[in-house]
Amino acid sequence: MSDFEPKIVAFFCNWCTYGAADLAGVSRLDYPPNFRVVRLPCTGRLNPKFIMEAFKRGADGVWVSGCHPGDCHYIAGNYHARRKFILLHQLLESVGVDPNRLRFSWISSAEANKFQAMAKDVVENVKACGPNTTFRKEELNLGLAEVA
Amino acid sequence: MTEYIVKQNALADFFKSLASGRRLLTPRGTGDKCKLGETPPDQVTLEYTNTHLSPKSLLFPQTERLMAFHNERDKPNGYVYQSLGDNGEPTVVFGIRPCDARGISISNKVFQNDRFTDPYWKGKIDQTVFVGLACDAPSPQCFCAAMGGSPFGESGLDALAFRQGGDLGLKTLTDKGAELIKAAGAQEANLADEIKKLEATAIEAQGVKADYKPIDDLDLMDLFKDPHWVATAENCLNCGVCTFFCPTCHCFDIQDEASERGGVRMRNWDTCMSWLFTVHGTGHNPRPTKTERVRQRFMHKLKYIPLKQDGVRGCTGCGRCVAMCPVNIDIRSVALKMTQTAPSPA
Amino acid sequence: MPQLSEITNKIRESARKALESGKAEVVIGYRQGTIPLTTAPFFARTAEECDQLVWSNFARINLANYLSGRTGKVALVAKGCDARSAVGQVTENQILKDNLYIIGVPCSGMIDNNLVTAKEPRPISEAVETTDESITVKGGGFSTEIQKADVLRRNCATCVNRTPKLADELVGPEINGGAADDFADIKALLGKSLEERMAYFKDLIKDCLRCYACRNACPLCYCPICFVDETRPQWLGKSTDSMDTMTFHLLRGLHCAGRCTSCGACETACPVNIKVREFNRVMELTVQSNWRYEPGLSWDQKPPLTMFQTDDAADFIK
Repeated sequence: MSDFEPKIVAFFCNWCTYGAADLAGVSRLDYPPNFRVVRLPCTGRLNPKFIMEAFKRGADGVWVSGCHPGDCHYIAGNYHARRKFILLHQLLESVGVDPNRLRFSWISSAEANKFQAMAKDVVENVKACGPNTTFRKEELNLGLAEVA
Repeated sequence: MTEYIVKQNALADFFKSLASGRRLLTPRGTGDKCKLGETPPDQVTLEYTNTHLSPKSLLFPQTERLMAFHNERDKPNGYVYQSLGDNGEPTVVFGIRPCDARGISISNKVFQNDRFTDPYWKGKIDQTVFVGLACDAPSPQCFCAAMGGSPFGESGLDALAFRQGGDLGLKTLTDKGAELIKAAGAQEANLADEIKKLEATAIEAQGVKADYKPIDDLDLMDLFKDPHWVATAENCLNCGVCTFFCPTCHCFDIQDEASERGGVRMRNWDTCMSWLFTVHGTGHNPRPTKTERVRQRFMHKLKYIPLKQDGVRGCTGCGRCVAMCPVNIDIRSVALKMTQTAPSPA
Repeated sequence: MPQLSEITNKIRESARKALESGKAEVVIGYRQGTIPLTTAPFFARTAEECDQLVWSNFARINLANYLSGRTGKVALVAKGCDARSAVGQVTENQILKDNLYIIGVPCSGMIDNNLVTAKEPRPISEAVETTDESITVKGGGFSTEIQKADVLRRNCATCVNRTPKLADELVGPEINGGAADDFADIKALLGKSLEERMAYFKDLIKDCLRCYACRNACPLCYCPICFVDETRPQWLGKSTDSMDTMTFHLLRGLHCAGRCTSCGACETACPVNIKVREFNRVMELTVQSNWRYEPGLSWDQKPPLTMFQTDDAADFIK
């Protein structure tokens, strides 16, 4: 499993974690390249179905990160998001999705070091889980002789 | 049209012979778990009312892959859709009820007619022999006789079996059926009168005396415009239970699904109860409310299909929608309301 | 031991009064079903039509489902759970409080037909009910009495809100007490391994046809376009893929969180008898333990997902 490189979908808030990733980059902080970032205006915009869709399409992990509570650009977006996360986190864990595959964090645009550490931690955790085989759509069975 | 009999002690060998060289599917399980399944010949039972779901999925699965393409440009046929074939295999279905067989014969005219032939349906039905089992104890929601069928109905079947004491009587109806039954070692017998007697008893037991004939004579537009549809549809939830359980509902939705390796075109059961069923690309929906959707379903069963199929009704009286509807919309009551439609002055 | 006919008469009387006094233009109640062991939702608009209203041990469907988006004045015949859903509809601005008149029926629970047919597997052609304690089912050559306590729906067996306390009037004596759902099975399930939990839920929905009867019977599911029907983008495939089915159930569970009143309409409507409420119960347990919230018990409480506390505990967020 050591050579397993997970695919992780990351949903970052435009006003903070996305900035932190940017700052980490210009500061030449190195972090693993396993995640693909989707930029959101706010974690409050994150519909739980985005996370399910990512897993369903084969993501090995999902990472959602936004502004610290109290620092939302839209005053309360992340407070509302937090309630949704509490439910979603519990629901997915209850139906058997490894909680190590799903990370929520608060990282401000100044916290490049926290971003770097978190990125490493997320990837390590997902690596330890191994490939996502249970919570994803079945591989499309093409059933064609040429590519059998 | 020859009758045969298989004595009780020869039944095991009879089913063994039916299963030789092909799949033998029979109803298995009880209650909501009763469904058609591959059955070892020594486990065939005649003790069931009917399968929970109609057997239409045998020929028309809920999801059926039609064609596929792959994304490898260097291999032959890259990016080109190819048919995935009909997936048919030699099969004998034993124990399907006459109402459901009639459902298959109605759908058959949709999938195979003088204008179209659906290869996926044809591939399966051509390799399947249907041996029905007549109903001697209809369940309380059965009304096949009122819909123009019979507990001993023959439509859609290759042979009809019926219980004759402990023995199994058989009547062959097509060459395919005759060949199968003869090869299975049934003995010829003269049972025509016996069948008539049993059939009359079974129809009597159903007890539904309603006459839906007036619908056939009423004008389509009068039926369509009748004000009762608003009240009829008022408690409908617009779930699709009736359509999913119906042996003659055959509407489908073509969907493409793709991955990085290629794509598949498939058809899936759809339901006219759904808002999505008729919504146009523009956003316009010709059936905007549940009234239109409910009207469509009943008009389709009781008027449109009879008009297209020489008077044969699209409802076979299996009673599944009546039993399954969460809000008790009963097609028999709806049909009665339709018979009371006032004809518009000529 | 209340006679059903007594309650039926009171419902009819209240319905007529509501129509006459102008409190309602339509009364939504139940009428006798056309097959045994059922009732059908019925919309009474005249005094004569009120005579078709009945009370029964089979009044399972939640009539609050018909409220959302209604503009005229309406009276609703409601059990404890239905009244809570109706209050929820008001809280969520689906109907004006002034337009709603609740005829509350204290309820001793509704019968699960599957349990009846498990006890009496022979084809039933008639069900006789006179009290709310037992029924007699009849068929070809048999007549079996069944105690209601033995065939209650799961959600009714653990109901503690049998009397619709917020109703405008009650048509029978209050019924109180009962043991609340202790979620013991859900808690036990959460003690199992991830693989076992995944296997349990995948097995739970393996027969799902995606007819969406659970959604359509649910008074909470009033979205004009459900996410399963969205096409731009299309969130859910239309095939029988198990993960598409799972996603539907998970998201529905999530959407109903903090709003579900355990009326059981989803399980009643399911034609393949899936225990749909398992998803909702996981969410109910989470909502109750995090925010101590139970929906539909007051007119002015705010649903938990429309508000927040600055100190909501979420240790899992790093």
